[in-house]
Amino acid sequence: MEALEHPPIFSLPGIPDHVTYTWLVMVILAGLTFIASRNLQLVPLGLQNFLEVILEQFQQIIDDVMGPEGRKYLPLLATLGLFILTANLMGLVPGTAGVTSNLNTNAACALVVFGAYHWIGVRKQGLIPYLKHFAGPVPMALKPLMFVIEIISHLARPLSLTLRLFGNMVGGHILLAVIFLLMTQLILWALSGSVPGAIIGGTGGIVTIVFTVGFLYPLKILVAFLQAFIFVMLTMLYISAAIEEGEHHSEQHAGHH
Amino acid sequence: MRRSLILGGLAVLVFPTAALAAEGGTGGWIAPFAVIAAGIGMAIAAGLCGLGQGRAVASAVDAMARQPGAAARIQTAMIIGLALIESLAIYTLVIALILLFVKGINFA
Repeated sequence: MEALEHPPIFSLPGIPDHVTYTWLVMVILAGLTFIASRNLQLVPLGLQNFLEVILEQFQQIIDDVMGPEGRKYLPLLATLGLFILTANLMGLVPGTAGVTSNLNTNAACALVVFGAYHWIGVRKQGLIPYLKHFAGPVPMALKPLMFVIEIISHLARPLSLTLRLFGNMVGGHILLAVIFLLMTQLILWALSGSVPGAIIGGTGGIVTIVFTVGFLYPLKILVAFLQAFIFVMLTMLYISAAIEEGEHHSEQHAGHH
Repeated sequence: MRRSLILGGLAVLVFPTAALAAEGGTGGWIAPFAVIAAGIGMAIAAGLCGLGQGRAVASAVDAMARQPGAAARIQTAMIIGLALIESLAIYTLVIALILLFVKGINFA
């Protein structure tokens, strides 16, 4: 990966690049919200209006998925979503390091989610009922087995959250890097002065440029939004599963009969 | 036809070992296999992931056409499902990246 991708334009000595750019994302987000909320108005204009629209989108998704009690978790979910979205989009700018294409950043986000939903579940139901639910509605003899399986499946959740985001971002970055490499080679060949180089290299260079600008970049932007959405959506599902597990059985029976 | 393809594939698989054994190089004989494994594994994963996602999208679109009112909810469920299916291919991608780029692993 290091062989293919260029080092970023700006990097601090002694600090990993993804950390530097994480700070940049934090500065961008905090600065925007600070500027927008310095002079709050009842009828929002400009930046405040823009940020309120984004927040309302989050609120609507939360209301759809988690119901009214999900509003409490808006800060966690919106922060995660905005951070991942900004980081994903910033990774597309040439000359910056991908923040979310480093395993450590994604693992940090996923571990925050993992800790948060267990903490929310334990606080909502108490430790013993929450742990009891891991065993599931099976006969007594099978409960230890179910408990172990459920623990493993819960441990797989942060792993899959991490790897999904990481794989999507890194895969896209490597694809872009390879296409850029091809593009430079073709254009250099076209400029070298030979006739086949001018024909094949010129055509190939134009094709790769059109392909990158017209298809790859829009696709990557879509993936950036989609992955942030998926991360937030799965977090919501985990939290709502953790807080609803207590009333799960009675509600489900009432709903089904 | 098929037999010649299989034989060709086997030759491709055997060739790097033979070439490297002839050179008598110490270590690093696993690297060609790592590249081949990354390519084949990624191809299988992408193909099967495409099949799975195609089935999911097909039935989601079918459901949306039957019930346009519930389109938004079906779309959300579809996107979550697609992400979960896709993550299986992503695991293979990560393994392929490890095989291709991580040099520090002692495969022996």
